Amino acid sequence: MNDATTPTRTRPFFGMALVNRLCGWWTALVLAFLYLPLALLIAYSFNASRLNVVWEGFTVRWYREMLANEPLIRALKNSVLIAGVTTILSVVIGTTGAWLLHSYRYRFRRLWEALVFVPIAVPEVIMGIGLLILFTAVAPGINGFLDSAFGAANETRFALGFVTTIIAHVTFCFPLVLVAVQARLADLDPAMEEAALDLGATPLVAFWRVIVPCIMPAIISGALMAFTLSMDEVLVTYFVCGPESKTLPLEIYDNVRKGLNPMLNAISAVFVAATAILVVIAERIRRIGR
Amino acid sequence: MQAAHATAARVGGRRPGLVGWLLLCPMLLWLAAFVVVPTLILAYASFTRADEDTGFPIYRGGLTFENYRRIVLDDDGHFLRTEQEEITTVDRDGTERVTGTHATTVIAAPYLRVFGSSLLYAGITTVLCVFVGYPMAWYIGRANERTRNRLLMLVMIPFWTGFLIRTYAWITILATDGLLNGLLQYTHAITQPFGMLYTPGAVVLGLVYSYLPFMILPIYGSVEKLDHTLVEAALDLGAGPLATFRKIILPLTRPGIAAGVLLVFVPAVGMYAISSLMGGGRTPMIGDVIQNQFFTGRDWPFGCALGITLVAMFVAAFAILAKFRSSVTGSDHAFRAR
Amino acid sequence: MKFIRVLLLLLAVLALPLTTFAAEKREVLNLFCWSEYVPQPVIEAFTKETGIKVNVENYDSNEKMLAKLLAGGAKYDLIQPSEYVVESLIKQGQLEELNRASLPNFKNLDAKFTDMAHDPGNKFSVPWMAGSVGIVVNTEKIKDEVTGYADVFSGKYRRRIVVLDDNREIVSWALATLGIPINDISKDTLAKARPVVKGWLPQIKAFDSDSPKTKFLKGDVDIGIVWSGEAALLWRETKGSGKFRFVLPKEGAHMFVDSLCIPKGAAHREAAEKFINHILKPEISALISKDFPYTNPNTAARALLAAEELGNPASYPPGATKLDIFKDIGKTAREIDRMMTDLRSR
Repeated sequence: MNDATTPTRTRPFFGMALVNRLCGWWTALVLAFLYLPLALLIAYSFNASRLNVVWEGFTVRWYREMLANEPLIRALKNSVLIAGVTTILSVVIGTTGAWLLHSYRYRFRRLWEALVFVPIAVPEVIMGIGLLILFTAVAPGINGFLDSAFGAANETRFALGFVTTIIAHVTFCFPLVLVAVQARLADLDPAMEEAALDLGATPLVAFWRVIVPCIMPAIISGALMAFTLSMDEVLVTYFVCGPESKTLPLEIYDNVRKGLNPMLNAISAVFVAATAILVVIAERIRRIGR
Repeated sequence: MQAAHATAARVGGRRPGLVGWLLLCPMLLWLAAFVVVPTLILAYASFTRADEDTGFPIYRGGLTFENYRRIVLDDDGHFLRTEQEEITTVDRDGTERVTGTHATTVIAAPYLRVFGSSLLYAGITTVLCVFVGYPMAWYIGRANERTRNRLLMLVMIPFWTGFLIRTYAWITILATDGLLNGLLQYTHAITQPFGMLYTPGAVVLGLVYSYLPFMILPIYGSVEKLDHTLVEAALDLGAGPLATFRKIILPLTRPGIAAGVLLVFVPAVGMYAISSLMGGGRTPMIGDVIQNQFFTGRDWPFGCALGITLVAMFVAAFAILAKFRSSVTGSDHAFRAR
Repeated sequence: MKFIRVLLLLLAVLALPLTTFAAEKREVLNLFCWSEYVPQPVIEAFTKETGIKVNVENYDSNEKMLAKLLAGGAKYDLIQPSEYVVESLIKQGQLEELNRASLPNFKNLDAKFTDMAHDPGNKFSVPWMAGSVGIVVNTEKIKDEVTGYADVFSGKYRRRIVVLDDNREIVSWALATLGIPINDISKDTLAKARPVVKGWLPQIKAFDSDSPKTKFLKGDVDIGIVWSGEAALLWRETKGSGKFRFVLPKEGAHMFVDSLCIPKGAAHREAAEKFINHILKPEISALISKDFPYTNPNTAARALLAAEELGNPASYPPGATKLDIFKDIGKTAREIDRMMTDLRSR
């Protein structure tokens, strides 16, 4: 399209370009706002002072201390595992759920939609205590079943740990994916799925080949939200985790309560840097794969 | 457009067969086991009495509406209360003096007042998030794919640092001897440091910071999907940017905004810790107060009642909204058909 | 879908090191303690000596601990409650009796901290650390003599005050100024305390039980009522320059004692008793004091502390103000919550 030749068009197009330019500046500004605390904590992770008050010189002491702190490193590993599994399960449950609720007229559809909404609305302490009561109530039954099924040599025990933590995290994470995907499906052109179906694709193939690529941006943003929430949640996790499945936010919470410790700045910086690098690598792999 | 309307009805309106139900089953079972059952247990607990020593619910001790009554009414059974407030003036040396009284009417039940202030905080936060987040989501959604994915990552990365760590960083910035005051004094913008922390403004800042990505991402999803030829057509037809935004862009991105509002407002109402960290705990929010029932007030049934009320309130609002829309986040099949 | 595949791949790589943890099999001790209250070196020394692996879980309030403990979902071998919770747990029969024969180091304790009202004869608990609640004054900003709660809330320091975010504490201070015993909590005494607290609240800048010292250091507040340990850390931070002065309120201060107890049905009682005996060793107890300058109840450990530590007036306050301890108050806790929510939500 050659805008310059038609004067009537230049004005509004100029207007839109200006709007986009302004939005770009705004984005930069908001990003600065978002990164201000991050920049600060990275700076302080190299500060010789124990307190985040004055600059007392450069040091890598906190990084050394962090690496030597076994509970912290273990919590980081736990967290990555829990957030990763949570994200995958949430994406699967949330995306299929959103698509099904979008494309079929289920009986009691409103009720199902309202139920999905409950984990978003319920206060964390209520969810944590509710799940704790549930898990402790069913544990003897499940363990009895495991013992009778696998005999006396059975070592598998149902107790608070990784499984319960992941269950809890998926419960409050998958609705985020569902809501994000549903918003996108709402204005998806139904003709696309129709065309696929008309061309003889089964609904499942149509979903996988046509719908999923179309809603991919929403799936990615839903996955990001799920991962972020799982990496950040403290209170529900407190109630459902066991000693070996303690997550990083919980470990940080326990350590930071009595005032900031630069070691925690250091581990945050490392984690952020590591994930950023991983993402860049993943993007590279994806592009090479094409 | 007629055809589109017809297919919309066909795709969105199919009755599910056995396969359809089977596919939905995992999600429904998950919800039943980990949402419905715990919620029902606690809903039941909210009608029980608390054990005197532990504060745990006495499940077999008979049922009562007492907990819900206590949310709405005060000890004397009043809904409203008139109070003589003392008017105090603060002298130059900081001493307070009582200079008169005036009558004020307040809601008598303390917990209801906390509900009110939490809704207010969450409302302000949501509005700010929309205004701050929309232009950004727009920009990200219109960028090319590579930039888009990079920007999305850039939005999320700061939130992988841990809530407390981020909040402490903000405290370092806003403290009286903090960085911002230092900067302002250095540039001679102010002469005396002023207390920005432990004010309602600081709480709102903390809330907006925490929830902004949950507004940006859903709106981005809608913007990215937006058919740009519609925007171009409107502009070609002589509509100004503002009219184009109001008539075309806003309606088409409304599902994203609705989803964002849902993901920001609802959790923000129940948010805890921010008010005590950034607001100095002076204005308790309902999330904190609910926690207090379990952790210091030793009254689990009452805590459950408060939590269940909050959930019920949202589900009701949600159901009312859904009645007017064809899906949760607002479908615009209607718009298309027009 | 490539996105998902890449994600799965990354996950597999990251999960690899986790498998090594599952293989470990050795004696363990499940310790449920206050966050940041059991220093890592203390645990490491224990594992080195006995070979017992310590799993640590933390809590940040007594009631949060009770919620998880009494729900019974997890099995703990050792918990660290405060004195009024010990009293309540004994009453409910939730603690195992200690075998004194396996605690030879018990003799190191100061008699002032044994055989206390919440656990006569120390049948169920061994004191960990003790402390008090008192007033901290930034003497560079406030030149007046501050001796009690009434001075803090005289109206002169409006919006410069930090207090513990603990409703029962605040009420107990109000009771103390009225001359009512701090454990005498009833509808009647609360009604008397109410106007006092109401007058105090608008003067407060921030409520903080976790780290009020930070607010002093960053200049947000100049005076406050905080844990003695926080005051001791402030004193240490300013190298005893006297910038922050600690005062036990003249209306009557109170103290708290955190103890170690074994919850009913603990699976590793022997390991738990070994741990208790371990922390009663003077050199280990001194390690705890190094990180947390509360009042160490261990006489033998105090002998190992440096003179400046013992001279820290917040850890070891001179003089003899009468120190009460909190008693378990059961359901009156909710009356306090109600009154305080009412006063704070306006």
